[in-house]
Amino acid sequence: MTEMIVVKELSRSFGEIRAVRGIGFTVARGEIFGFLGPNGAGKTTTISMLSGLLRPDSGSITIDGMDMASHGRDIRRIMGIIPQEIALYEELSGRDNLLFWGGLYGLAGGELRDSVDRALELVELIDRAKDPVRTYSGGMKRRINLCAGLVHDPKIILLDEPTLGIDPQARIRILDVVKGLADRGKTIIYTTHYLEEAEHICDRIAIIDEGTIYASGTLAELVELVGGKIMVTVSGGFGAGDVRELVGDAEIDHIENGELRVKLLDRDSTGRFLGGLFSTGLHVDGVAIREPSLESVFLQVTGRELRD
Amino acid sequence: MNEILGILANDIRRRLKSPVSVILMILIPVTMTLIVGIVFGPSGEVTVPKIKVLLVDNDGGFFSGFLMQGMQQGELADMLDITGVSAAEGEKMMSEGKASALIEIPQGFTANILDGVPVEIRLVKNSSEYFLPLVVEEITKTMAVLLDSGSRIFSGPMTRMRSIIDGESWPSTGDMEDVMNGARNGVILVYGYVADSLITFRDEVASAADTAVVAAGEKEDSGGFNIFAYVMPGSMMIGLLFIAELILRDILRERTGGTLPRMLASPVTTSQVVAGKVGAAFAITMISCLILLAVSRIGFSVDLGDPSALFLHTVATILMCTGVMTFLYGAISSERAADAVMSVVIIVMALFGGSMVPYEQMPSALQAAGRFSPVFWAADGMKRIFLFDAGVSDISVHLAILVALGVCSLIPGTLLIRSRIAKGGW
Ligand SMILES: Nc1ncnc2c1ncn2[C@@H]1O[C@H](COP(=O)(O)OP(=O)(O)OP(=O)(O)O)[C@@H](O)[C@H]1O
Ligand SMILES: [Mg+2]
Repeated sequence: MTEMIVVKELSRSFGEIRAVRGIGFTVARGEIFGFLGPNGAGKTTTISMLSGLLRPDSGSITIDGMDMASHGRDIRRIMGIIPQEIALYEELSGRDNLLFWGGLYGLAGGELRDSVDRALELVELIDRAKDPVRTYSGGMKRRINLCAGLVHDPKIILLDEPTLGIDPQARIRILDVVKGLADRGKTIIYTTHYLEEAEHICDRIAIIDEGTIYASGTLAELVELVGGKIMVTVSGGFGAGDVRELVGDAEIDHIENGELRVKLLDRDSTGRFLGGLFSTGLHVDGVAIREPSLESVFLQVTGRELRD
Repeated sequence: MNEILGILANDIRRRLKSPVSVILMILIPVTMTLIVGIVFGPSGEVTVPKIKVLLVDNDGGFFSGFLMQGMQQGELADMLDITGVSAAEGEKMMSEGKASALIEIPQGFTANILDGVPVEIRLVKNSSEYFLPLVVEEITKTMAVLLDSGSRIFSGPMTRMRSIIDGESWPSTGDMEDVMNGARNGVILVYGYVADSLITFRDEVASAADTAVVAAGEKEDSGGFNIFAYVMPGSMMIGLLFIAELILRDILRERTGGTLPRMLASPVTTSQVVAGKVGAAFAITMISCLILLAVSRIGFSVDLGDPSALFLHTVATILMCTGVMTFLYGAISSERAADAVMSVVIIVMALFGGSMVPYEQMPSALQAAGRFSPVFWAADGMKRIFLFDAGVSDISVHLAILVALGVCSLIPGTLLIRSRIAKGGW
C-alpha cells in the first residue's frame, strides 16, 4: 500500500481560535478517507492546508512523496479541489467554467475540450452545459462545482462537503461519482458531517472535532471502539443517584442529573434495563437506542451528538 | 504568460456575458456630454457665453479696422464681446481679470502691412482662464491668416488703395511684386505658426483661400466649435476610472466568492493571477475608451484629431486609470472599504481635474489644485487633441505625466495586492 498523503502534527490557529491542533493521518493510494465532524471542527482548515492555500503554523504535509513546503506548485498540479462553497462564475456557462478551470492546469485545445466533455458526462450535465451557471438548480451547481475540480484528471481529490444543502437524489449522484473516482484509483479525502455518507463511501474515517482527530480507522475498527455494544441514552427529570442502581451490570458511559448513557451487550439486556427503568416511575422524557454504529462511536469519542 | 492571458480572457468573456455594469459606466460620460450639449444648444452649434475681449487699437487704420470688423461679424459676433479700450485701461482691466483676453494692435499696423514690414499683434491672455483665451487666440490667428492671404490675393486693389491713401502714382509691376511678397510675410504673430482655427471662415474666403486657410477650413467641416468635444474628455475620465475600479473590485469579489482561492489552488502563481486581473482591468477600460471615442465621433461629430497623438494619449490615460485604481486596491482590503472610499476618490479627482465644472471656469486656487489630479492631465490632453488638433509633441508633457503616474502606481499597487493575497489577508 503506497502512502499518497502523509500528514504529521499539523496545526493552525486563527488568532485565539485553534482551528487544527496537531493532527496526523495517512491516506493510501485509491483510498477514500473521510473526515467526519460537526461545524467548526476544522475540516475546511485542514483541506485548505492540504491544498496549499493556507500555511500551517506547524507540522508537515507530504503528498505523493513531495513536501508541501517546497513543492507546492508540483503538488497543486496533481490535485483537484472541490471547495465547500460553490466557486464558479455564475455569468458563464457550465462549459465555459470548466474550460477556464481546466485551462489553469495547462490543458488546451482539443485535449481541454475532450476533458471538459468527459467531466460533463461524468456528472450528467452535458445537456445544460451551454446555459449560464446562474440558471442552474442548487444540485446542478454542486455537480458543476464538483467536476470543475476534475477536468485535469487529478491523482488526488479533496472534497469539502460536496453534498452540502442538496436533496437526497442529487446527493446519491454525487456519492456515486466519488465512488467511481476511487474505483479508478484516485486518492480521495472526503469531509462531511453526515454519518451515513461517511459510513457509505469512506474506506477509512477520521472523527474530528475541535481541531483534534479523536479516532480513525475503518468503520469496523471504529465500531469496535464501542465494543459492539448497544448504546442507550435516557433523559428526563431524575437525579444521577436515582438511576445509578438501575444500571446493574451495564457499563455507564456518561451520567449526570437528567441524563444517563449506558452501553449494553445485546437486545435482551437492553430490554431488561428499560423495563427496570420504567417500573421505577421516574420521570423520563426520552430514550434513544443506538445499535453499534458510527453514530454511537462519534458520541462516545467526542462526548457529543453529531447534529446536522 | 498563457495563464495570465487565460485569466485576462476569462474576465473579458465574463464582462461580455454580463455587460450591464460596464455599459452603465460608459453611459455616464455619454449622458453628461449630452446634457451639456442640450443645455448649450441641440446641434452642437454652440452659443457659449460671450467671451469678453478687450481691443487696444493703436493703429486706427484700415487693417486694424478690418480685424475689428471681422471679429464682430457672423458667428464671431455671437461669441465675442469686443470692447475698444485704451492701452492703460486695458492693462488695468486685464490685471483685474475682467476679460478673457486683450488684443493690442501696434501703431503703424496698416502702413507696415502695406509696406511689407512684419507686424506683431500682441495677445494677452487671462492667466486664470484656459479655454476662452485660447478661443480668442485661435480667432486672432485666423483673422491674421485672412489678412495675410487677403493682402496677397487682393494685392492689386490694395496697392491701388494705398496709392489713393498716399496720393502716389500707379506702382510698377516690380513694385507690385514687392508689395505682394511683403504682405505675405506681413503678419507675424506672437505664436509663430498658424494652427487650426476654431472658427470657420470657409464660406467667406472660399474663393480666395490659400492653403493654410483651406487646411483650417477642412478641419471645421462640422461647422463651428463643437461643445461635445469640449465636454467629452472630462466626463469620459469619470467613466473610465469607474470602469477600472469596477474591474479591479472583482479581485475582492472573487475572494469572497471563492473563485480566487480556487485559482490559487491551481498551479497558477499568485503573481500570474494578479497580472491577469490587472491586465483585464487595462483591457476592459481600453475597450470602453474605444467605445466612448467611437460614440464621440459618430454620435457627437467630435473631430478625433491626430491619430498618433490620440493613440498614445489613450494608452497613457488607460495606464493611469488602471494604475491609480490598482494602487488604491492595494491599500484596501474589503468591499466595504472600497464602497466607502473609491467613489469619493474618483469624484474628487474628477472634480479637481475639471470633469464636472470646466477647468477654465474653476477659481484659480482650484485650478492650481487641479494640476495635481491625474484626471486633469488626461482630460486636458484629450481636449487639446479634439479641439486644437494637438500632435504628439504638443501633449508630450501630458503623456509623460500620465505614463509616470501610471507606472508609479501600477507597480507598487500590483505588488501590494500580490502580497496581500499571498499572506492570505485577502
Ligand atoms: N479565516 C478564518 N479566520 C478566523 N477563523 C477561522 C477562519 N477559518 C476558520 N476559522 C475558525 O476555525 C475553526 C474551524 O473552521 P473550519 O472552517 O475549518 O471548520 P469546518 O469543520 O470546515 O466547519 P463546517 O462544517 O462548518 O464547514 C472555526 O472555529 C472557525 O471559526
Ligand atoms: Mg468547512
